[in-house]
Amino acid sequence: MAAYTTELPVRVDLDVSHVEVASRWATTGSWWSGVERVAIVEEVRRARDGDDSAPWEAPSQIDGLVAKDHLLPTAAIDAIWRITNHPGTLTAEWHASILGQGINPQAYVELVGVVAQANAVDRFADALNVTRVDLPKASPDQPLRFNDNSAEVTSHWVPTAQVKGPNVVKALSAVPFEVDSMSILSATQYVPMGTLLSDLVSDQNSLTRMQIELIAARTSKLNECFY
Amino acid sequence: MNQDSQVSFEAIDSSQAGDGGVEHGALLSRLCEAMFSQDPDEIASVRDDVIEVAGADVLVDAIAVSANFYMMTRIADATGTPLDVGTIEPSAEIREIVGVNDFMSRREASH
Repeated sequence: MAAYTTELPVRVDLDVSHVEVASRWATTGSWWSGVERVAIVEEVRRARDGDDSAPWEAPSQIDGLVAKDHLLPTAAIDAIWRITNHPGTLTAEWHASILGQGINPQAYVELVGVVAQANAVDRFADALNVTRVDLPKASPDQPLRFNDNSAEVTSHWVPTAQVKGPNVVKALSAVPFEVDSMSILSATQYVPMGTLLSDLVSDQNSLTRMQIELIAARTSKLNECFY
Repeated sequence: MNQDSQVSFEAIDSSQAGDGGVEHGALLSRLCEAMFSQDPDEIASVRDDVIEVAGADVLVDAIAVSANFYMMTRIADATGTPLDVGTIEPSAEIREIVGVNDFMSRREASH
C-alpha cells in the first residue's frame, strides 16, 4: 500500500522507503519494543504539533502535557521533544542528564535514530501538504536489551562501533538496525550512502548534485547544525 | 556538473542572497526556509513557485532532500558527532564564509 495519496509525482522508490521505515518503527528493536518505538514516533508528532516551548522547558515539567501513565520514561519524552524542536541547543551536559535519569546509552542511540527518521518522514509529508504516513500495528515483543560491549565512547558522546565511514553514519553504529533505517531514507531522499563521498558530481532524479548540496547545506544551517 | 561552473555560498546563507551559481538556487533556498518556518501560507506559496518555475518533480525531490537533513542534523547534534578528520582543514574557509562557527553544536561537538 502506498504511503501517500497525491497528484504530485512522488517517486515510487521514495514512497516505498517511507512505508518500509514506518514498518521498521513498529518492529521491536534492540532496546525498545515496537509499541514503544511507535510511541516515540507519536511523541515526535506531538512535539512538532504542540506549542513552541523554549529549549529549557521539558515537557514533563509542564502541567498536563505528559500523561502520568505514559508508556515511555519521562527522560525519553523530554529527549524526544528537545531533539525534535531544538536540536541546535543540545549539549554534552544535557546528554549526560538524560542518561543520568536511567536511559541506557545504547537505548538512547536507538531513540535518536527513530526520532530523527520520524522528523524526516513527517517533514516531507507536511511540506507537501499530504497526510503523514500511517503507523503500522506495533509489535509488543520485548527487546533483548543486549549491551554491545564492543561499542565504546571514543569520538562521539554516544558509544560507537569500530566501523568505517563518515562520523554521522558512525553515530548510530551501536544499533545497526537504525543505521540501516537511516540509509534507506538517505538513499531515496538524498544520495545512497555508498556513493556519498565517492561520487560528488552525479545528478539524482530531477536535481543536480549542486542543487542537492545547496538544499542540504541551507537546511543544515537553518537547523544550526555545525556538522 | 560542469567543472567550469562558478559556485558561491550565498544561497546557503539566505534566499535573498542570490542563486550562488546554482540553477534555481534562491528559490530552493526559499523552499528550505519555508519548510523550517512551518508557515503554511509561505510553504504553499513557494510550492506553487517551484512547480511553475522548475516543475513538480523538482518540488518533490527538493522537499525530500531538505526533509532528509531534519534527520541528519538531529543525529549529528544528539550524538555529539565531531567533524570528520579529513574535512576539518579543507572546510575551514567554507565554515567561516557560511557562518556556522558560532553554532552551539560547533562548541559541543569538539568536546
